[in-house]
Amino acid sequence: MTTMTAQATQVYQLFIRATPEAIWEAITTPEFTIRYYHGARIENTPERHLGLGPNGEVWGDSPTLEWDPPRRLVHGWQSLYNPEFADEPSSRVTWEIEPQEGGYCLLTVTHDQLESSPKTAESVSGTGWMMVLSGLKTLLETGDVLDPDRA
Amino acid sequence: MTDDDHVFKALADPTRRHLLDRLFERDGRTLTELESELEMTRFGVMKHLRVLEDAHLVVTRRSGREKLHFLNPVPIRLIHDRWIDKYTEHRVAALADLKTELEETA
Repeated sequence: MTTMTAQATQVYQLFIRATPEAIWEAITTPEFTIRYYHGARIENTPERHLGLGPNGEVWGDSPTLEWDPPRRLVHGWQSLYNPEFADEPSSRVTWEIEPQEGGYCLLTVTHDQLESSPKTAESVSGTGWMMVLSGLKTLLETGDVLDPDRA
Repeated sequence: MTDDDHVFKALADPTRRHLLDRLFERDGRTLTELESELEMTRFGVMKHLRVLEDAHLVVTRRSGREKLHFLNPVPIRLIHDRWIDKYTEHRVAALADLKTELEETA
């Protein structure tokens, strides 16, 4: 297998059978993120992106850059969850939710501006974002909390 | 066609797998860059990229006047979870047990 440096721009895209509103709630509310986001309680507000670990330790604390519910959220990213690369420069995460036919949405997550943050880039690539996004999909499509009609 | 069908169809071609490998090494490439590494016309490469885009294995982004191609690993992950994990789990677990047993007795 080829060795590689993690990419400075990473794009992840998937279909989720849920409304834009349900997806928006799942990515901005700690009660939901704790169930799929590596156990983090993440709260996104128009001002701030705050992520807390299980014992209240700060895993992420960055400004919100764009807030357009339920379609587009852009926030800063600093890897405070790992002291080894907590001091790397801030990068950027963009969430885009586009409704499709048949009750699906296309969710695109772009993590970029990672040029000067190689350890962060490595940490979120591979299974990093993938676990979060497949967990989010499973929660929204099979969880009974967000979609009481299908419970 | 289901999403899975699109992904399997897209992967069932050596040129398209080669394009994915190139993007895995370095993401965010233009058509011109990708074309320069293949013995194929620009039109041919475009056709293959279109199939990869339809399967959402490649996502394009505009950057100024350029269209950049990014590898999207999620569909392959979902195929892996759905089709590979299920059939390999027991065998891999058995091998892991064997390894543990042999190393403990060694």
